[in-house]
Amino acid sequence: MAPSVNDASPPSTINDAVTENNLQPFFVLQKGSVRKTERKLSGTGKTRRRIDLSPELPKNSENLEDEMEEEKMSMRMEAFEFVWSKIESTIKDVLREINTSVFSEIQSWVHQSFDMIRSLGTPDFPQATRSFPIITDANSKKLFTGLVLTKNMEFVDDLLTFEELGKHLKAQGCHVANLSSLDFTAKNGIGGCLRSLLRQFLMSTLDAADISILASWYGEQNYNNPVVVIVDDIERCCGSVLSDFILMLSEWVVKIPVILIMGVATTLDAPRNILPSNALQRLCPFDFTLGIPAERMDAVVEAVLVKPCSGFSIGHKVAVFMRNYFVSQDGTLTSFIRALKIACTQHFYMEPLSFILRDLVLEEDNWEFEIEQYGLSPEVTLKHAFNLPSYQRVKMTKVTSESLAHALSELKRLQNQWRAVVLCLYETGKGEKVRLLDLFCEANDLESYNRREFDACTKLEKDSVSSPSSRQGPGLIKGGVICEAVRLVRDLSTRQLGKLLKIWENLTVGIMEINGKVKELQSLLKAEDGKSSKKDLIVTPKRHASRIQLNIEDSKSLGDKAAKLLECMVRDYMQPIECIPFHEIFCFKNVDKLRSALIGDPRRRIQVDLLEFQKLLHCNCCIRGSNALLPSMHDTSIMYNLAQEHGDLINLHDWYQSFKSVVLCPSSSKMKSRPSPLPKKRKDINESENRSEASIQARFCRAVTELQITGLLRMPTKRRPDFAQRVAFGL
Amino acid sequence: MDFNEVDEEEFGFSRNYFLAKELGSSGKKSAHKLSDINVVDEQELRAAAANIEPKHQKDITALIKSYKCLYPKWIFELRCGFGLLMYGFGSKKALLEDFASTALTEYSVVVINGYLQSVNIKQVVIGLAEILWEQLKSKRRNSSGNLPKVQQPFSSLSMDDLLAFLDGSVMECDSFICIVIHNIDGPGLRDSETQQYLAQLASCSNVRVVASIDHVNAALLWDKKMVHAQFNWYWYHVPTFAPYKVEGLFFPMILAHGSSNQSAKTAAIVLQSLTPNAQSVFRILAEYQLSHPDDEGMAIDNLYSVSRERFLVSSQVTLNAHLTEFKDHELVKTRRNSDGQDCLYIPLATEALEKLLTEIG
Repeated sequence: MAPSVNDASPPSTINDAVTENNLQPFFVLQKGSVRKTERKLSGTGKTRRRIDLSPELPKNSENLEDEMEEEKMSMRMEAFEFVWSKIESTIKDVLREINTSVFSEIQSWVHQSFDMIRSLGTPDFPQATRSFPIITDANSKKLFTGLVLTKNMEFVDDLLTFEELGKHLKAQGCHVANLSSLDFTAKNGIGGCLRSLLRQFLMSTLDAADISILASWYGEQNYNNPVVVIVDDIERCCGSVLSDFILMLSEWVVKIPVILIMGVATTLDAPRNILPSNALQRLCPFDFTLGIPAERMDAVVEAVLVKPCSGFSIGHKVAVFMRNYFVSQDGTLTSFIRALKIACTQHFYMEPLSFILRDLVLEEDNWEFEIEQYGLSPEVTLKHAFNLPSYQRVKMTKVTSESLAHALSELKRLQNQWRAVVLCLYETGKGEKVRLLDLFCEANDLESYNRREFDACTKLEKDSVSSPSSRQGPGLIKGGVICEAVRLVRDLSTRQLGKLLKIWENLTVGIMEINGKVKELQSLLKAEDGKSSKKDLIVTPKRHASRIQLNIEDSKSLGDKAAKLLECMVRDYMQPIECIPFHEIFCFKNVDKLRSALIGDPRRRIQVDLLEFQKLLHCNCCIRGSNALLPSMHDTSIMYNLAQEHGDLINLHDWYQSFKSVVLCPSSSKMKSRPSPLPKKRKDINESENRSEASIQARFCRAVTELQITGLLRMPTKRRPDFAQRVAFGL
Repeated sequence: MDFNEVDEEEFGFSRNYFLAKELGSSGKKSAHKLSDINVVDEQELRAAAANIEPKHQKDITALIKSYKCLYPKWIFELRCGFGLLMYGFGSKKALLEDFASTALTEYSVVVINGYLQSVNIKQVVIGLAEILWEQLKSKRRNSSGNLPKVQQPFSSLSMDDLLAFLDGSVMECDSFICIVIHNIDGPGLRDSETQQYLAQLASCSNVRVVASIDHVNAALLWDKKMVHAQFNWYWYHVPTFAPYKVEGLFFPMILAHGSSNQSAKTAAIVLQSLTPNAQSVFRILAEYQLSHPDDEGMAIDNLYSVSRERFLVSSQVTLNAHLTEFKDHELVKTRRNSDGQDCLYIPLATEALEKLLTEIG
């Protein structure tokens, strides 16, 4: 509470606030010298999770318990680090993979450009040592510029791309410097970006930023390798500084063969909009295009959430929230990954058994579950595991370690099936813009799974009396992604179907039942193909027409069969993780927690705090739910409630008067600010009235200040000295 | 779908805005003046402000205490690489410092008071670098690790080098310096350059940030890069309803007009940015005003001759340049004296003026 560690008394008056530390711009609160073992003595406020605390434990074992708790926490922390680093590296690999072709394209262009510059000649020794540029002809002023179209307004997603591009080119022997728009500010001018260049190439900071230093440095590098300067977002750069930079580099291009790579978020017009013509003339542009964000998103979802990666998974609601956040709010892959990390963090913090995931990452194939290896008491662990709601629903076997291990491997098997079906669906819809993220959400939907089950049952009862007009599969959401995929299969040509079946076959390798069916279909297809090719041999014009007819019909029925198969796969094998026992160990489902951690909503929440403060403070004096303002309420809360009755301008006088009348409300005879409840002499009354007037005014002032701090109120201006301005209207 | 909800929300928002506007303009604007309030003497007001009886103290204490159970979670998240961002009504200063001093005992903690009028971010970074350096040194004494070479003292390094030092030097994992920033949206930190530096600081591998915001629009300070890639915020709604004691210290009291402290302070800031000669000219004017409290002000000719004698100005033109500067910042005003002569005066009370002179002296 107190500003210093030793001082334990809480501040009570305003003078306490004015301590030295509070008025220092910054101060060192403590130095981290206390080691972990000593820390336990001062450890306070530990939370205990349900399973760790058995109430029978005697009190003196509390320390021991704390220690155990800490150990478990560090175990989960370790597991988190393991799992997250696995996820993170997977994501990085995926993104790198997506960019490989563009990167190699850029790389070969860089080397071509470099050769072109070199063909202008290498400066000889006296030329090279002079500190001014060499200009032979107009050509020698051309600056090769690669414009990388990011196809994404959100430059934050491409920070990593350009970093990776830099690494890629460095690995190919180029000298690379990455600049950002922060280096091109009007304030720092050309010196800013030059200094940054020198920092990155020479690894040192020089006060005098001069390009001739760079030239002499390059001379020492023997003119062998191209110099690449990457600017990640030119739209955010200061145009004049960027054009100065380009003009300068182009003058020096013979001595320092710089090749410029610029990220463009909008269109190819961007340089024309930013740069003046003299700078534009110096550029010799080439353009490259990166993949669109949705593609990257699909690749990431596939690698991290669908394919086996870390074992960590998210529930349906969380997935839907993350998708909506991506689609309609933030739009960046970065934030999606961040949301995933928050989910992961919360999962490991909340779920005591989450440490199991670590071993899942370590030994993916021959993974066996043994509680003892974690140094935990089996009873506690099992008790927790078998108390999980997903187990309580099914209540199958005895509570033993073996049954748990069995259940976990069953979970793994079901997940493999689910994965295979999802990937089959994804492959089917890939050409038709079926997004994996949408598919993932739908495939994880417990409700529609249950509906599918239910429909299947009722269908059996009705014994296939279903009308032929309903081509829609059982329980599939109309307009949903799965339904779309099934529809697509029906309309495929024989050749396309053959290709697709081949993919399905590969995807379902581990699952005998589906794999067999797919193979069956394939052989049917082959027979069909054989038939038609045989017919091809004895082709006559008349029969030709009928053959086409036949072929269409055949493939239609084949397509139908494939669609049926797909429907069966969806119904029988695509079991969402949330209906499998013990999924809580792997699956994060608390969408509210994720939302509040990811998206703070200060604008609304601070207002709600003020308007409904009783709900937070749980006090007895201010009656809940009643609209009347009571004098016992928080001053700032009263003021803000009163402010709601005003327009955009608040007359300070009126505001004060209404505040005063609320505070002095008759029901508050025991008003706190009045020191003596029963003043006897008239003089006393006057004095105390005066004092309470001062006190009310002071409270008014403080409330106004507090509203000003929260930004909900703007102070009176000179033009309107008697009015304050409201800032927020409605929540 | 959500879109409709969002639309509805936005519609509601704009409707509220126009309703409020209408209420403000159509209904008769209240003609009451602030001066109609019988404002007590300023000193009395300040005394009263210092002794406001707290309300709901017990409930507030209980509320703040209830956040204690979140401490282990906060540490967990810090260790996972997130920055914690606390919001909600009420001062969070005590809460954050309590968290740091009871739960983060293993780590070094530096506190930045963003509610102050000005914070020199470079000084902060130098301080952080020194702490890290000390930690690395003590680590090396224990085990044989390699120290990164730092030739110069930190105070002479550039910001980039300092940040690179904080980012690059490898400590054993799970060892970081925690920066507690009170009011990261406060006046001392609000400019975009400082926020950029803070963001870079937050993204350093050896640094974690725990910050608080109070302003409803604080989130507008950051772009997506800062939020997602650098600060990596983990939001927490932790209203405390504790009074903003220190945070409010620098706001003028709305009922205390001509607050001498405040205007003298702003005047001092303006003056300090001017040349020494200009300051001296101002000093002449101020001293004249103090020694002739009953005069309307100092005549321009008079000021010119005195300034010229002291070699502060060489011509009327230079003096006028200074005067324009003063007038722009409302440090000096003109009025006519009884002789019809234009006089210059400083619109500050005597005590405020004295205080100002000592401050710039």
